[in-house]
Amino acid sequence: MASASTSKYNSHSLENESIKRTSRDGVNRDLTEAVPRLPGETLITDKEVIYICPFNGPIKGRVYITNYRLYLRSLETDSSLILDVPLGVISRIEKMGGATSRGENSYGLDITCKDMRNLRFALKQEGHSRRDMFEILTRYAFPLAHSLPLFAFLNEEKFNVDGWTVYNPVEEYRRQGLPNHHWRITFINKCYELCDTYPALLVVPYRASDDDLRRVATFRSRNRIPATGGGYESDDAYHNAELFFLDIHNIHVMRESLKKVKDIVYPNVEESHWLSSLESTHWLEHIKLVLTGAIQVADKVSSGKSSVLVHCSDGWDRTAQLTSLAMLMLDSFYRSIEGFEILVQKEWISFGHKFASRIGHGDKNHTDADRSPIFLQFIDCVWQMSKQFPTAFEFNEQFLIIILDHLYSCRFGTFLFNCESARERQKVTERTVSLWSLINSNKEKFKNPFYTKEINRVLYPVASMRHLELWVNYYIRWNPRIKQQQPNPVEQRYMELLALRDEYIKRLEELQLANSAKLSDPPTSPSSPSQMMPHVQTHF
Amino acid sequence: MFSLKPPKPTFRSYLLPPPQTDDKINSEPKIKKLEPVLLPGEIVVNEVNFVRKCIATDTSQYDLWGKLICSNFKISFITDDPMPLQKFHYRNLLLGEHDVPLTCIEQIVTVNDHKRKQKVLGPNQKLKFNPTELIIYCKDFRIVRFRFDESGPESAKKVCLAIAHYSQPTDLQLLFAFEYVGKKYHNSANKINGIPSGDGGGGGGGGNGAGGGSSQKTPLFETYSDWDREIKRTGASGWRVCSINEGYMISTCLPEYIVVPSSLADQDLKIFSHSFVGRRMPLWCWSHSNGSALVRMALIKDVLQQRKIDQRICNAITKSHPQRSDVYKSDLDKTLPNIQEVQAAFVKLKQLCVNEPFEETEEKWLSSLENTRWLEYVRAFLKHSAELVYMLESKHLSVVLQEEEGRDLSCCVASLVQVMLDPYFRTITGFQSLIQKEWVMAGYQFLDRCNHLKRSEKELLEQYPAAFEFSETYLAVLYDSTRISLFGTFLFNSPHQRVKQSTEFAISKNIQLGDEKGLKFPSVWDWSLQFTAKDRTLFHNPFYIGKSTPCIQNGSVKSFKRTKKSYSSTLRGMPSALKNGIISDQELLPRRNSLILKPKPDPAQQTDSQNSDTEQYFREWFSKPANLHGVILPRVSGTHIKLWKLCYFRWVPEAQISLGGSITAFHKLSLLADEVDVLSRMLRQQRSGPLEACYGELGQSRMYFNASGPHHTDTSGTPEFLSSSFPFSPVGNLCRRSILGTPLSKFLSGAKIWLSTETLANED
Repeated sequence: MASASTSKYNSHSLENESIKRTSRDGVNRDLTEAVPRLPGETLITDKEVIYICPFNGPIKGRVYITNYRLYLRSLETDSSLILDVPLGVISRIEKMGGATSRGENSYGLDITCKDMRNLRFALKQEGHSRRDMFEILTRYAFPLAHSLPLFAFLNEEKFNVDGWTVYNPVEEYRRQGLPNHHWRITFINKCYELCDTYPALLVVPYRASDDDLRRVATFRSRNRIPATGGGYESDDAYHNAELFFLDIHNIHVMRESLKKVKDIVYPNVEESHWLSSLESTHWLEHIKLVLTGAIQVADKVSSGKSSVLVHCSDGWDRTAQLTSLAMLMLDSFYRSIEGFEILVQKEWISFGHKFASRIGHGDKNHTDADRSPIFLQFIDCVWQMSKQFPTAFEFNEQFLIIILDHLYSCRFGTFLFNCESARERQKVTERTVSLWSLINSNKEKFKNPFYTKEINRVLYPVASMRHLELWVNYYIRWNPRIKQQQPNPVEQRYMELLALRDEYIKRLEELQLANSAKLSDPPTSPSSPSQMMPHVQTHF
Repeated sequence: MFSLKPPKPTFRSYLLPPPQTDDKINSEPKIKKLEPVLLPGEIVVNEVNFVRKCIATDTSQYDLWGKLICSNFKISFITDDPMPLQKFHYRNLLLGEHDVPLTCIEQIVTVNDHKRKQKVLGPNQKLKFNPTELIIYCKDFRIVRFRFDESGPESAKKVCLAIAHYSQPTDLQLLFAFEYVGKKYHNSANKINGIPSGDGGGGGGGGNGAGGGSSQKTPLFETYSDWDREIKRTGASGWRVCSINEGYMISTCLPEYIVVPSSLADQDLKIFSHSFVGRRMPLWCWSHSNGSALVRMALIKDVLQQRKIDQRICNAITKSHPQRSDVYKSDLDKTLPNIQEVQAAFVKLKQLCVNEPFEETEEKWLSSLENTRWLEYVRAFLKHSAELVYMLESKHLSVVLQEEEGRDLSCCVASLVQVMLDPYFRTITGFQSLIQKEWVMAGYQFLDRCNHLKRSEKELLEQYPAAFEFSETYLAVLYDSTRISLFGTFLFNSPHQRVKQSTEFAISKNIQLGDEKGLKFPSVWDWSLQFTAKDRTLFHNPFYIGKSTPCIQNGSVKSFKRTKKSYSSTLRGMPSALKNGIISDQELLPRRNSLILKPKPDPAQQTDSQNSDTEQYFREWFSKPANLHGVILPRVSGTHIKLWKLCYFRWVPEAQISLGGSITAFHKLSLLADEVDVLSRMLRQQRSGPLEACYGELGQSRMYFNASGPHHTDTSGTPEFLSSSFPFSPVGNLCRRSILGTPLSKFLSGAKIWLSTETLANED
């Protein structure tokens, strides 16, 4: 399979599971053998180009553009696949050089991606090949501007797990002991008429009647009434709540900060003054402030003195970050793979973080002021926590990276649209596949071998610059010189030991069977080694 | 332990100093019982009662009451009060919980807060006020504070002066190690025919391996045979042990036995030696299995002879190479920061790490860290060492490290190169022998420098956790052990100094030395002097892949093929000059071939093309899965070089991650490794005999954390006491605000937070 040779150029974790599956089944193996395709993915065009790799220099190759992604296959060596980029990650396509441009490789396209890289292609000046490629890319990378559907609606992948069933609001509230005599479930927003950016089902203070809620809603931005995020033991309705405001900058500052990060890591890492350059991006400082805020929220809730009302000017940017991070600190359930999916599904997707506006899915307006890496910042915070607590999370770094990859890819319906009502209108759960389907049908790959399940353990990260680090394996993953060892040697060692243990247990069992067959009277001899060994653990 | 629970009420509360009246009398009998634990030869110089050891700056409720003594070895605070909040999880057998060895003291500050006076105390100084407070700044970054509000003012003053005097001795022989060893000799003289007892014997004591299991002796390189064995171990043909420096006849800063090219005669060496600074002629360190040697030497000061001698030496080294390869010379003085710069960086780093308030340094932490230049220097050392690895390994060149005196930077670079190239030096015994070979015997001036030490190794450990037998804790306690003036290992500038000084001392104390060359000091490698067998198991890295363990060969073969493919495609874009050097490189892996040398570049000249060859070598190396029993190279990009947090942040309460840190994964892995051990023992027993026999063996474990250990009632949980500072504890060691055990929000000050009672309607 060609994808085996991509690793050097492309550590992209947009995995090829489903691709492998389809080719194994024999589906879709038609004339365009050249590139692997998803069910529903169709080849639009292919062109001869020179890919100007910032790390390895120009590579002559053939680019294949489908309605989902861009592939690049090298023409020079053994036709290895060099690029495999979903069109959803593209934020901007620019032409470079004109008809009169001189010099090698000065005429072509420059593509800016949302995932911290740029792609440059040089094309021949004659034959309109650039114009074709530009137009096709623009059309399929920004389908909304061309009245085309997002690829998620064309994707025909099938999984044996349905990710859309992961989150069931009533069940999740029940797990938290809700409703109770302080909080009640209301269907006031059933048809999204109270607040169109909130979910249909809400948990609200018990003593607040539906009429009260309607009245409050008129005062709030976009009618977003207060509703429960965590919903932990709480005393009264929120007139006893303490209010505090966190000095976290707005979404525009975050966007600029991330841009600066890209400047210092792509294509070359600013080596000579790495730390001060990093500091000048303020990225980690923002991470720190978000974590600090979440720690405060968590602390307030867990000290049991007050419920916490988290809010920002328009509902669900900072709020989603703080509530979901606080919930990760307080409730170990959310540190499992499924728990984390529920957390994202509930606090982000269901409660109406404006994914469509913040990411700009399928939209060509790359300068849109509504775009901001708020969700990325949250995932970064989660990564920081997982670094500080290497045994506390069931998922590994790859899990977080794949979530971010498909945040942009538009292959799944999970992160499309701004709120639940819009998703309902588009019948997202019926017409698209959930990212959790992909992940949950291949869970082993995303598991942290060191995970130690702990119930009721509150974990506070240290929100200090002394511990926060730039997430190199995400932000600098395109640079082969910086990429860290994969697989992680420590994890690998652990897995080896696990295998060794299992083999020993098996051999012991066999030996014991043989021995007990030989000995006539071993009445007290344990029947299995795990009984004899009081501490044989069952991992996973 | 830091938790959100309110502090336990079981601690005695000393919120305010107790009233002057009966309290003192009441506690008197209790304090009388407080007696210091003294080592042989240790005497109490001064002491003061009713001292308060401060645990936090903002409250005295956790403070401890006790007696402060100053001995000729340590300052000791003796108390009956239990340590509040969080304990150390290992104990040094030579030191109490609150003790500080005198040689670990950096600065002594006395304060009188009524008079608002403060004085840094040097030796033999006067103190015009009665101190109410004593602050000890330690070389290991701790800051310890004592209050004398309730103590006799005169005795408080005396203790302070005594500490100042004894911690800054003017004469080497005043260091406690001499007294201790002298005592041992006297005692043993009375017992068995003058043979000192215990201590592992040997000139400084060979000592055992760190762990319970391994009892391999650390070669000290004091004898002819140790060097000879090292030559044989590395297969270095063409090199011989030379005895011309026996009795330090040639140089007082070289070991008695050195290894030199076989083609150089003793007579020639004697003549050459005069031209070298400190008469430090070339010393062999190590040989690669391809025959390339690592050699270190001082500068040739004799300008007229320079060329001639240099030529002779290089020829001899070339002759000792089986392929007659050239010599690559590395002038360390020109390529690396000098020791003053390294020292200055370390001082800055220390200031930054202990700075208060914590939050003030937060905002500019990264740039402040950069400004210390510490990481930059660490990186420079690692990078240069890795480049030399390339010369030795890939280019098959012998490498000569040249430095003015050849006893500072060379120590560091020589040992780093060997750690990268030779898996033996990544075992505990091997690493200890390396420090003996390249630092102690090669004349690193521990006495004068005693500050910066091979901390770069830690970077490698972090990047290749499975390649090292020892753990981060091991490096931390080794680092601490350089500040305990009991061991001969890190006490002297050279082996000769040890012999000279201790012989003088022996004569003055009437100790019969017999045939021995100087006194035999205990060796730091005898870890049983400091730690129990149980605590020593913490030195073992559970990630370590021992030779016997089968490892991942299958995986590496596969990925190698992949590398080859994409590798050739990378060649396309390269400038043609680059292609020369690397044509058939991948054919002969893992042993890279020597065809590389065909367009023989002048090895002494660092050309551009050679730089990119090095780069290519690194890239190639990193594109393959590392064979942990082979060469390991550090990643030297700025994004990979990180601060050694365990060592530098362990006393900083604000930086402590409770229930977290890499120790939690270490713990998890230890449990599994232990389980595997137990199972394999059971398997062996099962094969050989009756079932019952195996239970007897289950008790011993090489892991600190084991599947059935005392810390471990529930097998899967992370123990409450684990934190990023483990096994150390910040409590009372930096004297910060009492954030341990107080509500979290109190110390969350990174974000500016306003508490407000504004209502909802005002917003938006």
